[in-house]
Amino acid sequence: MEAEKEGAEEQQGLFYRQRLKAAVHYTVGCLCEEVASDKEVQLSRQTIAAISEVTFRQCESFAKDLEMFARHAKRSTINTEDVKLLARRSNSLLKYITEKSEEFNVERKTKKKKKLEDENKDSLEPAEAGGVGSEN
Amino acid sequence: MADSDISDNEPTTRTLLRRVLDTEAPRTPRRRQSTRAGVQRTPLGTPFSMRLRSQTKTTAGRQPHRARSIGRLAHIQTRGQLKEQTPRTLLENILLTAPESSMVMPESAVKPVPAPQVVQFSRRESSPGSLELQLPELNAPTTLAPGRLTSGRRKKRLRLSEFQQGMDQGLPLSQGPVTEPPGNTGASSLSSSLNLTFATPLLPQSVQRPGLARRPPTRRAVDVGIFLQDLQDTSVATALPGDRTPVATLPTDTVLEDTQPFSQPLIGRSPSVHHSLPYPSLSAERTVSRRTRSSGPGLQNNSPGKPAQLLAGKAEEVDALAMGFPNTSSSTSGEDGVEPLLGGVGEEVEERMEESMSLSEVKEAAGAQASARAEEPEAHTEVAEAEGSWGAIEEKEPEGSSRDKDTEGRTARPELASSTPEFPRARQLEFLEPAPPTSTAVLSSEPLEPLSARLPTRVQTARPRLRQDSYKMGLSHYAKLFSFYAKMPMEKKALEMVEKCLDKYFQRLCDDLDVFAAHAGRKTVRLEDLELLMRRQGLVTDRVSLHVLVEQHLPLEYRQLLIPCAFSGNTVFPAQ
Repeated sequence: MEAEKEGAEEQQGLFYRQRLKAAVHYTVGCLCEEVASDKEVQLSRQTIAAISEVTFRQCESFAKDLEMFARHAKRSTINTEDVKLLARRSNSLLKYITEKSEEFNVERKTKKKKKLEDENKDSLEPAEAGGVGSEN
Repeated sequence: MADSDISDNEPTTRTLLRRVLDTEAPRTPRRRQSTRAGVQRTPLGTPFSMRLRSQTKTTAGRQPHRARSIGRLAHIQTRGQLKEQTPRTLLENILLTAPESSMVMPESAVKPVPAPQVVQFSRRESSPGSLELQLPELNAPTTLAPGRLTSGRRKKRLRLSEFQQGMDQGLPLSQGPVTEPPGNTGASSLSSSLNLTFATPLLPQSVQRPGLARRPPTRRAVDVGIFLQDLQDTSVATALPGDRTPVATLPTDTVLEDTQPFSQPLIGRSPSVHHSLPYPSLSAERTVSRRTRSSGPGLQNNSPGKPAQLLAGKAEEVDALAMGFPNTSSSTSGEDGVEPLLGGVGEEVEERMEESMSLSEVKEAAGAQASARAEEPEAHTEVAEAEGSWGAIEEKEPEGSSRDKDTEGRTARPELASSTPEFPRARQLEFLEPAPPTSTAVLSSEPLEPLSARLPTRVQTARPRLRQDSYKMGLSHYAKLFSFYAKMPMEKKALEMVEKCLDKYFQRLCDDLDVFAAHAGRKTVRLEDLELLMRRQGLVTDRVSLHVLVEQHLPLEYRQLLIPCAFSGNTVFPAQ
């Protein structure tokens, strides 16, 4: 019974994996077409398949590394720091990621500020209304 | 002889038969006799080897012993004959009467008796390792001294008993002079086999370190020691920076081996443990114990060398040796550079440490001094670099562990010497920081902040040169290894490219270590960082853990530093 269940789960896992791979392959294919039209070169199907396979495996490796990094920093959640550590090898990518993350942080801060301001206003308005009302 | 024993390879058939005869539950009269015989034989066995080894000759007093032993033998023999003819008795008679091996001299019935006894004794008493040694040697000694065979079996027996007593009492072996070579070829062969057992005298007696049996062959240690000595001599003579031989971890042929986690074994057990690994331990000790200026250069050399070696740890022995040159040179320079920084604080500590370390370090100091002086201004960054490069060698685990040990040891040392705890830690930080470009950063790290000002001024001038010399030497060593394993002739340019690649590779490894440590919010590289690095390299997987790698590749002394072992007296080493 349990073996069967495990087998079924494995089957499902494999299924899931295949679907993931197909999705990756499709995306890689789209990107390759863009690059091909951009550089005006032809990319054969085998090439695209190879690239997608490599991408998939690399993603697996990335995931494991990210988990290791997070655990190394004694966290249970993967952080942007972990991602930056992962991307440290390629300078341009690292730059890009850090810029994006900074933008994101800035956005978050502005959002937070807005929220706080809104809350303050909300709290003030009823008070004012109350004050006005009392005045009246 | 007996068919039953044919299958056994290691022990001789005779010994096996003997064993069978003795251990099997005999019918009562047999039993008593066999045990007694066995007991009687063992004393005879021991003195044989003793005598042979010492090769001295004693005269008086043997004959009474001989007579006794002969009497014993005769007693045994007669007993055997009295029994009914069982297979056991037959075997026993065979053992008693048949020659142990091809005999040069004609033998009397008495002669073979001591041989089996001797064999038995050797079998029983010697460690498994020595037992193995017996067989090949059995025939060799027969040719050794044919002239000796004639004289004193009697004396030999005496010696056996004497030796036995001496062994029991723990007396030195030298007391029993080896007078006459065994009369029989068999006896001589047996005695020679016994000699072999003595070749490793400490094995059976060292209960405290059972792992010694698994140590790598001692020849390695000797080679390293001699080699290092030669190197030191040459370095002293030439006073060239690059000549310094690295303290070097024991050279290992495999790539992954050798860590040099020597940090603090010195505290308790290091002297004995590290005896076989003189230089690495010495260097380690040195780094911990800042030597005073006078002995400093040599010592200093070692101390940076130690961390370097610690980093190199796993490096192959050959690599370690090769790299040791640059390490030692760089270490000396690094030490010198560091010294002014810590001079005020460290001197007292150093002196104290020195005293404690003096024995081990004297050697290195002497060798290192010359080289150290030459390289004084060497920046410790170079050392760090060298260390980093060494550390980058495949297994970085020892680095991490060694670093940990270093911290532990260093802190322990100052405690022992009641010196400032920051002192060694600062040193460790200095040495452990891998990338040379980060040297200034290293300098500014915790305890070094007040001292950083001094170090850069001193070091800057000589740093590039040192880096080139020692570092390049290490890289060239690797390149040579590469060309060896390539099994093909290689162009010089190809070797240069290999060096370049190695350079970048090691730099990257050390940077990774640095980054990992920073990622965890730390400034010190620790074992976890190293393990993470190895995991990324694929050396440590879900199936293969770090401990497994340590156990697989490291010699016992190193392993003890990484994997805590419990020693007698409720002590755990390394102390955690």
